Amino acid sequence: MIEMIGRLYRGETTFNFVGRRWWGFGISIAFVVVTVVSLFAQGLNLGIDFKGGVAWEVPASTITVEDVRTILDANEIPTSDAKIQILNGAEGQRIRAQVGEISTETRTVVQAALSVKAGVDLQEVSVASVSSSWGRNITEKAVRALLTFFVIVSMYIAWRFEWKMAIAAILAMMHDVLISVGVYAVFGFSVTPATVIAFLTILGFSLYDTIVVFDKVHENTTRYSASKVSYGDIINVSMNQVLMRSINTSLAAVLPVLSLLVLGSWIMGAIALQEFALALLVGMLLGAYSSIYIATPLLAVFKGRELKFRSLQGNLRLGEEMARLGATSKKVVTRTQGDASTTSTQSDIERETVLASSVLSHPPRPRKNRRR
Amino acid sequence: MARRLYFSLIGIVVLVGSLLGGNLFAGNVPSLGLDLQGGASVTLQPEGEFTPSALNQAVEIIEQRVNSLGVSEPEITRQGDNVVVNLPGVNDQQKALDIIGRQGELLLRPVLQAGTLNTDTATTIPGTNTSVVDTTVVDTTIAATEGGPGSMRSRGAATTIPAGTDTTVPASSDSTVPAVAESNISVSEDTTDPYANAVLLGQNGEAYLVGPAGASGKVFTNNAQAVINNGNWTVTVELRKGAEGEDLWNALTTRCFNRDATCPTARIAIALDGKVISAPTVQEAVFTGGNVQISGDFSQSEARDLAKILEFGAVPVKFGVATVQTVSPTLGKDSLRAAIISGLIGVLLVMAFFFVYYRMLTIVVIGGLMVSGALMWSIIAFISRSNGLALTLSGVAGIIVSIGVTVDSYVVFFERIKDELHAGKSLRSSAQRSFSLAWRTILAADTVSFLGAIVLWWLTVGSVRGFAFFLGLSTLCDVIVSYFFTRPAVLLLARSKFLQGRKILGVALPESSAQ
Repeated sequence: MIEMIGRLYRGETTFNFVGRRWWGFGISIAFVVVTVVSLFAQGLNLGIDFKGGVAWEVPASTITVEDVRTILDANEIPTSDAKIQILNGAEGQRIRAQVGEISTETRTVVQAALSVKAGVDLQEVSVASVSSSWGRNITEKAVRALLTFFVIVSMYIAWRFEWKMAIAAILAMMHDVLISVGVYAVFGFSVTPATVIAFLTILGFSLYDTIVVFDKVHENTTRYSASKVSYGDIINVSMNQVLMRSINTSLAAVLPVLSLLVLGSWIMGAIALQEFALALLVGMLLGAYSSIYIATPLLAVFKGRELKFRSLQGNLRLGEEMARLGATSKKVVTRTQGDASTTSTQSDIERETVLASSVLSHPPRPRKNRRR
Repeated sequence: MARRLYFSLIGIVVLVGSLLGGNLFAGNVPSLGLDLQGGASVTLQPEGEFTPSALNQAVEIIEQRVNSLGVSEPEITRQGDNVVVNLPGVNDQQKALDIIGRQGELLLRPVLQAGTLNTDTATTIPGTNTSVVDTTVVDTTIAATEGGPGSMRSRGAATTIPAGTDTTVPASSDSTVPAVAESNISVSEDTTDPYANAVLLGQNGEAYLVGPAGASGKVFTNNAQAVINNGNWTVTVELRKGAEGEDLWNALTTRCFNRDATCPTARIAIALDGKVISAPTVQEAVFTGGNVQISGDFSQSEARDLAKILEFGAVPVKFGVATVQTVSPTLGKDSLRAAIISGLIGVLLVMAFFFVYYRMLTIVVIGGLMVSGALMWSIIAFISRSNGLALTLSGVAGIIVSIGVTVDSYVVFFERIKDELHAGKSLRSSAQRSFSLAWRTILAADTVSFLGAIVLWWLTVGSVRGFAFFLGLSTLCDVIVSYFFTRPAVLLLARSKFLQGRKILGVALPESSAQ
């Protein structure tokens, strides 16, 4: 175990991610199926910002916000996403309480209870249906923006790396958001505008994480371009190289979220933070998972079919061999002082490439003739 | 080399420090959203007759108008027939009214005379009127000063009519423009009265004497766009079909094109709430294509503003303000405090983890986080003041989360250094090389985030837009801090004697590694 951590720390692990890709795919497919089923079966529990509801307004001479909350609780109206506000205007102080859709009877019952508690006539307590504040056109615009975003980001990734990476990254990102939404559907958490923001954050985080991993893959592809190395190998080596980075980044991103969840909402009682933090936590773990188990293996599947790599498909170096492939060339640096300028960096890179390919020039394993 | 590194390091710290100091001095603090601080609530009551569908449309238009005001996250709901608009961070009830209360009736009025406002007498129109409808050359100079367009024609025709046609407007027609004496025309005091003549002001101090409105903004469909045409920003808008749209519009433009007595200048003033937004010259008698194109010396933002006004100008239902009230926050400061405290503890945990893992290099991370924190705070405070940005609880939480993500650039960088050190290089050369490699990765990943932020910012409204703002801001801060702070700090540390013989990154550095 200690040795394992040590190797992880030194970036010398030799996990076979590509070979075990079906584990990742299988788990994810299972989750996606659960998500889709529950989305169709029970749908999302949309909050009052999306669905609208009922609002009472009562003159607040004696009644307090706590009283209103008690009355709502007494009528079994969920107050977790109720909005209770104090209004100050020319007509004095009033309290506005807004809750989700309820039956007409409950409306009148609450109206009566409020008027009794506040000591005013029934007519002075107003009841009105409230529309959603998150209008249809906000959703429409957001969806349109997201689609544009996907297109532009794919174009960027295709230009900066290659288009197969773009597809893999977008698929992984959709996977993350879909499953995060699934958590909301399965557990029936109420979806608020903050939740939508959390989903968007997840989307950004997932994409960012994937790009960092792909950058390494891209770099290694150029590094090994001269030698006969299967794409699966390249990915395995890259993944093991960035594994520590992925773990560290995810830890660094998850720690503040955990703190928001445990300290902020459970210990300090800011309930509003709970679902937001929960969505983020799930999403970030998924983002870290998907860039390792979904995005890159998907890429391996896409790229493995390419002419250049097809002959080597399924040809994976494991264990020691993988370590040797990935090892950064050890060399004695014999350089004089003050050479850290950009020009020497350039030559440094070149030298590195030469050394890397010389590492790879150990006799290749005899090619298995698998084609019929 | 070392001097440039010191320059960059000290430069960014001084710059961010003075930004922070300046904002503190000016008393700019980030303002908070409806959920944390409350704000103003304006209830609008529809007046006169209206249909439910008209009301729906009106709510949509109000929503778009309020949302397009800035990055704050207003809340618009219908309560029965009333429309309730909650504005965050606005404690002055009069200010809330100013924001919402603009009635927004867009009128298209023939311009009788145009000129600049004379400060001596109330509004005299100078007799030297020749500059208004002479040639396009003059026209565009006017356009430049008024920020308005030069001309208006139907969209299809625009490409076929050579630029020269503009000048075919006979200069002699100027002489037919009578120097209308002020006394001959009764001018209504009410600048929004569509049935009387009125003197309206333009956006840059021009004055227009305008006749009764020939049409309202209802002749346009709600899809005006600002587009680039032949290298210039133009605004295109579609006409509604039928008597209420095209026919009304064409009647007005025919009058103007023929320089009829009711429209001697051939210009139509686009007036919103008694103010002339733009006064283009009509270039065609009849707009057959159903499209109107307004061109002129627009800047991008002017074109976009005009498009926005054409699009949302006319609200089909007239609203009166029923009540203006201040509203208390729905969550309150307790939640904010909880978020901030737990967020800070979370960040401390991250730092502790870093210290265990990356040892002395954590100093750089702490410094970098302080710099980027100060930078973000300054920008948010400044924009709160200037554009009414309001932080909601999810915004605050989002910023805390972004810290965790920002830390990634350090991880990428440090992991690179670790690799290089393991390969037996000196700290000094590995730091330099690692940065150029890590920088590529950081830039690629940040570009993607930033692209996302920009797209979401342009195309969305409300809280999604607020999210895009913070995403873009934190990404930008990450890039700036990585290059101007982290890079010089790590490179200088790697040269200095400070890390000699210490353990960084769990790799013991040989004493003589950098000689």
